[in-house]
Amino acid sequence: MNSVRRFFRRYIFSTMGILMLFLAVNFVLFAGIMIAGYENSREESFSIRAFSERVTRREGVWTADDTALDMLRENRAWAMILDSKGAVVWERDMPPELPRSYTSAQVASFSRWYLEGYPVRVWAGEDGFLTVAGFQPGTRVKFYYDLPFPYVRFMVMGGIGIFCANLGILLFLTLKNARRVERAMSPILQGIQDLGRGKPRRLEEKGELAEISAGLNRAGDYMMKKDNTRAEWIRGVSHDIRTPLSMVLGYAGELEEDGDLPPAARQQAGIIRRQGEKMRALVENLNLTTRLDYGLLSVGREEMDCVEIGRQAVSELLNEGLPDRYEILFFEECPGKAVWMTGDPALLRRMLDNLIRNSVVHNPEGCRILVSVGSETGTCAFLVRDGGIGISDDRMAALNGERDISSTREGAGETEHGLGLKIVRQIAAIHGGTVRFERALPRGLSVRIAFPAR
Amino acid sequence: MFEKRILAVDDDPDLQKMLDSIFRRAGYLHIRTASSGPEALRMLKEEPSDFIILDVRMPGMDGFAVLREIRRTSRIPVLMLTARGEAEDRIAGLESGADDYLAKPFLPRELLLRVQAILNRAYPEPDRRVELAASEVDLERAEAIKGGQRISLTARELLLFRKLYENAGRIVTTGILCETICGEFWQGYETTLSTHIRHLREKIEKDPSRPVSLLTVRGLGYRLVLKEEK
Repeated sequence: MNSVRRFFRRYIFSTMGILMLFLAVNFVLFAGIMIAGYENSREESFSIRAFSERVTRREGVWTADDTALDMLRENRAWAMILDSKGAVVWERDMPPELPRSYTSAQVASFSRWYLEGYPVRVWAGEDGFLTVAGFQPGTRVKFYYDLPFPYVRFMVMGGIGIFCANLGILLFLTLKNARRVERAMSPILQGIQDLGRGKPRRLEEKGELAEISAGLNRAGDYMMKKDNTRAEWIRGVSHDIRTPLSMVLGYAGELEEDGDLPPAARQQAGIIRRQGEKMRALVENLNLTTRLDYGLLSVGREEMDCVEIGRQAVSELLNEGLPDRYEILFFEECPGKAVWMTGDPALLRRMLDNLIRNSVVHNPEGCRILVSVGSETGTCAFLVRDGGIGISDDRMAALNGERDISSTREGAGETEHGLGLKIVRQIAAIHGGTVRFERALPRGLSVRIAFPAR
Repeated sequence: MFEKRILAVDDDPDLQKMLDSIFRRAGYLHIRTASSGPEALRMLKEEPSDFIILDVRMPGMDGFAVLREIRRTSRIPVLMLTARGEAEDRIAGLESGADDYLAKPFLPRELLLRVQAILNRAYPEPDRRVELAASEVDLERAEAIKGGQRISLTARELLLFRKLYENAGRIVTTGILCETICGEFWQGYETTLSTHIRHLREKIEKDPSRPVSLLTVRGLGYRLVLKEEK
């Protein structure tokens, strides 16, 4: 899964998480409010039952104790007691406009609703008397529900259903919206990633984000134009330098071999020739690395035997002639067994050549260089190991890092121009391979390049 | 001294002079130069050459066009010389019928070796014999002459010897030699190659178990060491 897709998956999961959190928080808050309200109402509530118990009849006379009177006072309430015939047998602070006798219908009505606008509470005692407490109009609200059971069940189930449906719709719309944003943003984010890798691609300029796509396309075009100009410039310069360099090498070579010249002059011609050869190598490397950088090189895809590639690379180098202080050995890790991979033979030979030359250049005292080819499960690997001076830990870390390193030589403040190892990495990369630098034992440097086998 | 007539075509007068100097110093007696395609074609009409060195990038008519024109009437060997070293250009040159392709900048020795190799292939001497430490090999008759005795070489032994001789003094890898005698799909023929090498050694070496001419380069391939050429 690429990073863009991963980002949107995370976005969707986090949105769902936020929704869940939102619901949970709301549930907790709602429950909290309910509990707080209940607690609050309990503190302020007027219990008609408690009041009723505090109004007693002794020897035919009704008496309310102090607590009952306090309850009425605190709630600015009034009270009365009706006997079984509806007559008021006791009253306290009762508004004068209210009747002192009630029919059964009146009792049934005000016990559910209001008595002349006064919200009332009633409590039927075991002795058949009805205690009634009335409150000031506007201080309490009374509801009366009488619902058929199937309706209530339908309401509850319907409520749950609506809640679930709402949740589902919310999730669906969130996912749909996220998907829409993902579809719109993915090409743009991918385009930015590609641009960052130096491989811009053309984005379709449509939809709400067409302007951003157009901007990225312009940036890509600009980058390509700049890259192409640079590549063309390098190619042009390397082309223009080839003919004059031919003459430098040609005449220097002739003078070096001219027996009529004094030895000192021939030596100087030899120096010019060798420096010219270095310039030639530099021009070729510069050209190759630029072409690899900008994808201007058509890379062959041949089935090939890595063992033979190794043999040819080592042979070419030996055929060119190496000083005796260098010994190059080649061996197969699995003798007699071909190691197949798909790639460009010329580039792979060049890669090995660069690595061997790297060992030669950085060990002027001479060393033994070992080149081997082998295969493991799913990979084929080239190993170039020298018994030379090796490199420091810092350098090793830098070589195995992402930074562009052109040579294994310590920098010492000098700019490196060899490009050899950069080309090795580039060639390995276009073949899907990896390069690993390690310390050779007992001394020296070991470079292992592994490729996916055929 | 070499009798072969060489025509070097390049629009750069300094490079023309240098090519002239390189070939004259190497012993080539007949070297001519031309600065453009049409001039080269005119010179070829007036007097034929045995070998052409042709620059690719020239004003007006480029090297590929000149080569196509030459190939209409002649199979004269041509070495393309160019400042463009890319593989595509090299392939285009060889596809146009060039015998070899050399990118600038080049070393004089590199140029001379290539020219000599092409000339050897294109104009084989009828009585050409390759002289080795203990024997001679007559390439035309496919025979080895050892101790006054003529020993026939098989077709594969001759192919093998020619390949080694074309690269005399240089290592030729096992793969290249196998390909020479078995074709493109040579894998698994290393044992066959060893057998042919052993037979060849028996025919050209004094002591085949201690070869001095056809040497094994361990892990890589073989190298032919010449005594001198007749």
